[in-house]
Amino acid sequence: MSNSIPEIEDSKLLFVFGYNAADSHPIVARRIVRAKEKGAQIITVDPRRTEAARISDLWLPITNGANMALVNACANVLIEEDLYNHDYVEKYTEGFESYRETVSRYSPEAVEHITGVKPELVRKAMRMYAAAPDAFILYGMGVTQFGQAVDVVKGLSGLALLTGNYGRPSVGIGPVRGQNNVQGTCDVGVLPNVFPGYQSVTDANVRAKFAKAWGVESLPDKVGYMLSAIPHLVKDGKLKAFYVFGEDPAQTDADLAGVREALQTLELVIVQDIFMNKTALFADVILPATAWGEHEGIYSSADRGFQHFRKAIEPKGDVKVDWEIFSLMANAMGYPMHYNNTKEIWDEMRELCPIYYGATYEKIDSQGGVQWPCPTLDHPGTPYLYKGNKFDRPNGKGLLFASEWRPPLEQVDGEYPLVLSTVREVGHYSCRTMTGNCPTLKTLADEPGYLQINSADAAKYGIEDEALLWISSRRGRVITRAQITDRANAGTVYMTYQWWIGACNELTLEHVDPISKTPEFKYCAVKIEPISDQLRAEQYLQEEYSKLRYRLSEPVH
Amino acid sequence: MEKKVETICPYCGAGCHLNLVTRNGKIVRAEGAPGRTNEGQLCLKGLYGWEFLNDTKVLSPRLKKPLIRYSRSEPFHETSWEEAIRFASTRLMEIKKKYGPDAIMATGSARGPGNEANYVMQKLVRAVFGTNNIDHCARI
Repeated sequence: MSNSIPEIEDSKLLFVFGYNAADSHPIVARRIVRAKEKGAQIITVDPRRTEAARISDLWLPITNGANMALVNACANVLIEEDLYNHDYVEKYTEGFESYRETVSRYSPEAVEHITGVKPELVRKAMRMYAAAPDAFILYGMGVTQFGQAVDVVKGLSGLALLTGNYGRPSVGIGPVRGQNNVQGTCDVGVLPNVFPGYQSVTDANVRAKFAKAWGVESLPDKVGYMLSAIPHLVKDGKLKAFYVFGEDPAQTDADLAGVREALQTLELVIVQDIFMNKTALFADVILPATAWGEHEGIYSSADRGFQHFRKAIEPKGDVKVDWEIFSLMANAMGYPMHYNNTKEIWDEMRELCPIYYGATYEKIDSQGGVQWPCPTLDHPGTPYLYKGNKFDRPNGKGLLFASEWRPPLEQVDGEYPLVLSTVREVGHYSCRTMTGNCPTLKTLADEPGYLQINSADAAKYGIEDEALLWISSRRGRVITRAQITDRANAGTVYMTYQWWIGACNELTLEHVDPISKTPEFKYCAVKIEPISDQLRAEQYLQEEYSKLRYRLSEPVH
Repeated sequence: MEKKVETICPYCGAGCHLNLVTRNGKIVRAEGAPGRTNEGQLCLKGLYGWEFLNDTKVLSPRLKKPLIRYSRSEPFHETSWEEAIRFASTRLMEIKKKYGPDAIMATGSARGPGNEANYVMQKLVRAVFGTNNIDHCARI
């Protein structure tokens, strides 16, 4: 995020784009409510009538898969109605002419057949956005989980550049990241193209610095593979061993049948985790680790905040902390590695990363956290980026970059007439191994999860509220339960991705954004079928649930 | 005698501070703490999301011993740490020798382990395995 979570409530306008905070980040949602209480205007772009949409001044009910067309229409209005900040664009950006040329073809009227949004709503939204003294764009997976995602992020940052909404509190763009430490995992170089601190693996000087610190002659200079490519890499014979650390791709990745085939084909699968999960069923060796609550370290919040999490209880069983397991592996492979505690590891990393150097454990503890960049020991950290409107580009200028809209890959047809979009569950998290084992949270929601469906579609396909039904795509079929709600738009159905029986990723497809390689979880074609014998269906559900629980518990006993 | 440990919630990226309250070495409840982003508030996952630490087996059991199988047709059986590490490291070295380091891929974990564990994992992959094939579910 360019800016911080607490700044949300002091913005004068929130432009919420494909982000359902009420379900994915309830505590961030509180800031949106408080901003409204303090008088901010709210504009929401979402095909569903989310809680943010409900309390908005303006709701743009976009057609699923039309993000780029709508963002370009927004830019078109800002430029053609002369609402943009000429002085800011002149001083701090580049690329305006070609940007203008591309978006000129996207007037709200010209793309209404794609976006489904009435042109006057788009114009009104941009007049409000441009007039606001401070405007903050919040976006979520409704932007990033499409085959065209990075282009849309660049498009949203273009709207902030056009209106000069950077470089001060309560403005900018905020991708509110999903998992508690997804920001941190990026920060410390768990990416195929960068070392910790976003230092490129293709930079010889960077490689030399890390090689020296780590005591090796050289380090690999080729950018590595991305996770979403694994099924193809295995099929092509390029990948033979997979070390899975604290993830469950056999539940969370797209097109699960393809993932299972890859896991079966691999010569070696190592799983290091806290619970048995679907991926572990394919492993050759399973290494049991300590969980949150049983060890300490630093997490990075979505707004770049390093914070110290601590050990509260002793672990039970013959388990080890993750970094100790990695040290054992390194030593067994002939590389001496030894750490006594997390602070030693953190200090080794700080020394190698200029943007984190000043974020010591002592400072994180005394301040309650440190937001990077924090380059020196006397630096307090950075709540918002781009102060003085200097951007992370060689010449310091923000790039205005427009792309043509591309439709989602798998279109609906006579056989698969509905769009499936996968969304979030408020009371459960990710692959659900943690929240699924919390009895209180189980009472909020349980298998097989719900299919959110508009009342018109429910009537059309003979689906009753709370009834079990089959949903299928070209890749698979699962059982789920209907929740008839007009928060969902007609023509699209929604499933949360936490369920192991009603696993929506049996249906999704592995079509990825060309740059981020994130799959198009928000769009595939499906059909639904009512089940006449509901009693038998309920029994089937219970049987499947019992069988799965048995398969997961059997290896441990 | 109750003890309080201030920590950070392991669920979403909001980074809420919370206190885990323990009695006789067991967690009895969580309460909101004054963090920068949450200012004492918690959602339901923050309030009740610690319950899995009691190994409730509601959905799946905690892993408590290294498990191994020498053939995929076999069931898993418990083993020692020495044997688990020996097996995993020997197989990795064989695969590296036969197919090259880029035939190995690893993930990080964006959840409980934390930045230090992830730092050590990417160091293991880059410095010891000899590949940049490391990624995590940022794109999932």
